[in-house]
Amino acid sequence: MLSYTLVNGLAGLLIVTSQMVILAKTSRDSAKFYAIQSLVLVLIFLTLAKIQGNEELYLWSVSAFITKVVFVPLVALKVFGKLHDEKLGGGGGLPPILSIALSGVVVILCFVVVLGVSLPGAASIKPALAVSLAHFFLGLSCIVTQRNILKQVFGYCLMENGSHLTLALLASGAPELVEVGIATDAIFAVVVMAVLGTRIFQKLQTLDARQLTSLKG
Amino acid sequence: MLSSTLLLLLLCGPLAATAIIFLLPSRETSLRLVEGVHLLSLVVVLALTIEILRRILAGAGVSAFGDWFFVDALGAIFLGLIGIVGFLSGAYSIQYIRHDLHAGILDARRVKIYYALFSLFIATMLLSVISNNIVMMWVAVEATTLGSAFLVGLYGQKTSLEAAWKYVIICTVGVAFGLYGTVLTFANGSEVLGNAEGAILWSTIVSHASALDPMTSKLAFVFVLVGFGTKAGLFPMHAWLPDAHSEAPSPVSALLSGVLLNCALLVVIRYYAITLRAVGPEFPQMLLMLLGGLSIAVAALLFYVQQDLKRKLAYSSVEHIGLMALGLGIGGPLGVGAALLHAVNHSFAKSLLFCGSGNVLMKYGTRDLRSVKGMLRVAPISGLLLMGGALALAGLPPFNIFVSEFMVFVAGIQAGYIWVMILCGLFFTVTVGGLIQIISGSVLGKSPESLARGDVGWRALTPMVILFALVLAMGVNVPRPVSALLQDASAIVIGEHASIAFTTPWQFWSGEGADGNAHSRRIVTAAGTASHTETNQ
Repeated sequence: MLSYTLVNGLAGLLIVTSQMVILAKTSRDSAKFYAIQSLVLVLIFLTLAKIQGNEELYLWSVSAFITKVVFVPLVALKVFGKLHDEKLGGGGGLPPILSIALSGVVVILCFVVVLGVSLPGAASIKPALAVSLAHFFLGLSCIVTQRNILKQVFGYCLMENGSHLTLALLASGAPELVEVGIATDAIFAVVVMAVLGTRIFQKLQTLDARQLTSLKG
Repeated sequence: MLSSTLLLLLLCGPLAATAIIFLLPSRETSLRLVEGVHLLSLVVVLALTIEILRRILAGAGVSAFGDWFFVDALGAIFLGLIGIVGFLSGAYSIQYIRHDLHAGILDARRVKIYYALFSLFIATMLLSVISNNIVMMWVAVEATTLGSAFLVGLYGQKTSLEAAWKYVIICTVGVAFGLYGTVLTFANGSEVLGNAEGAILWSTIVSHASALDPMTSKLAFVFVLVGFGTKAGLFPMHAWLPDAHSEAPSPVSALLSGVLLNCALLVVIRYYAITLRAVGPEFPQMLLMLLGGLSIAVAALLFYVQQDLKRKLAYSSVEHIGLMALGLGIGGPLGVGAALLHAVNHSFAKSLLFCGSGNVLMKYGTRDLRSVKGMLRVAPISGLLLMGGALALAGLPPFNIFVSEFMVFVAGIQAGYIWVMILCGLFFTVTVGGLIQIISGSVLGKSPESLARGDVGWRALTPMVILFALVLAMGVNVPRPVSALLQDASAIVIGEHASIAFTTPWQFWSGEGADGNAHSRRIVTAAGTASHTETNQ
């Protein structure tokens, strides 16, 4: 019997997979872990669709599978695979222990915030809601702490997965066209970032965000 | 023509132009055709905008696609800005981009990309101001970033790519916060309304806002303010703005500063209207005043120390967006109306100055104010227009910025924020100092002997002359239709209708207020006072 416990459990798995994306040695590995994470997200959508009997969420699952499990990782593998900064490597972010500790703090803080929100329809999914918010902030912390601009793109993808889960938890009644609009924006964002990242690498021969400091003041 | 057709045509025009331009060959021989399609699409947008404004002023509703798209008086103000400033900066582009092509700064392929993305950028901004569906509103604002990112990085230099990267990363991350605010508002609305169809529409949510959960509304407003405030250029989320505005081609800088920031601010204003009704004025007004005041303070100081003309203008935009946020935070019909009028006035003045910076680049080949000297001798008309724009931006009468700044200050003092307004006044004095530096050195100073005399062509000067005329006209006499739109728009935001005439001080003194002398007097007496207001709903 499917229940919201499964949704909350799968949401917890998102935090684990997000750490795998952030801590991966190469951007190719990050792309693969991102595909796995997106698959977890699709499973959450399917579980929610089954529990709520919501037809829209089945469509969301299909579009999320196509865009996030297949398309975005493929773009990342194809484009990012050609870009490698010898000096920077895949790292440049927080040490693993600090990154994991940070994620714990973020999850706790998000639980505190979500407990204060009074939405009767969301009472049974508050853990998942807290995780989705935490996931969003973990993506943000990835962008802020990672020097590798390709990792920053994955940080954005993590943020987007977090907000997508919030959308499914709180706004699954929204028309399908709305979800399509958000998914299209997310895809274009990744494509635009991939093209810009490639041009930066071709021009500057680096992927290090700390080298992008000509404009100051 | 049906109102729904009008809105669909408005969106389809520039999108079609984007597609056609992309399909045309990337050759210099196709340039005239590309320019023609570009101009035609902007003329269509301007004409449709004027028709929509006419209908709104006549009291008719304009909506389409099951109310997913609509234009009210509030949206009409921003729609008008896209139509006018979009057309004028687009017309200015012709000479500017030809110059870059002949100078070898751009090739034919990039020129084509420029014009195609220019129309796309216009389309995404149009979508953002006509969206009544709150998620579409978010989608549109996000799309403005994606549509304009390559315009910012068009030159492909190290600095422009860096600016484009920061622009995309900071704005997409920022606007992602906006999505959270949007989703929370939708969920909150769904609980109250009991259906998703109504909760997705801003017009429905705002009319039921008093029943929303206050805690969720507050949380949503914080997310919205951080998210769309990033795109609007409010401190401390403004880091992308000076880089993007300075590295983009000058007509794009004019659009970014004169229109895009306002589009994001409109979304903040729409959520401000919801939050005012849901939790009362204290919480949203405190946040807006805080961010607005900090934006003014930080931007004024950074403006003063810049030596790059376009960077200076970019920080000035942060400062003026801060003043708009401050006006909104002061609240009341006068504070909100003054902020909206300032959005219009700043848009015209800043577009003029960014086009002026384009003339500086065409003549001097640099934006460094230490090298730009004696513009008045080198290119007299450009010099005069630059000086006029700088004087306007300094807030001197009889230019338009003075009028709206004066209104914000009156609103602030009447609401009891005397010390806040004095402090802001001091920071604006710092800005005046920086603008005087531009006038005394770059416009009036001694020009380099080696520089060829002669102004830029009429294709660049004509749009600037029109912008200058608008800056002057709005400073001398706020037209009645504009005043009427401001009245209706501020009523939409605060939920009360007040008979305040948004006029210049000299219209007030001469008794030529939009609704006659009696209403004109209320300009200094009506801010936030219930005695002159009547409930609108």
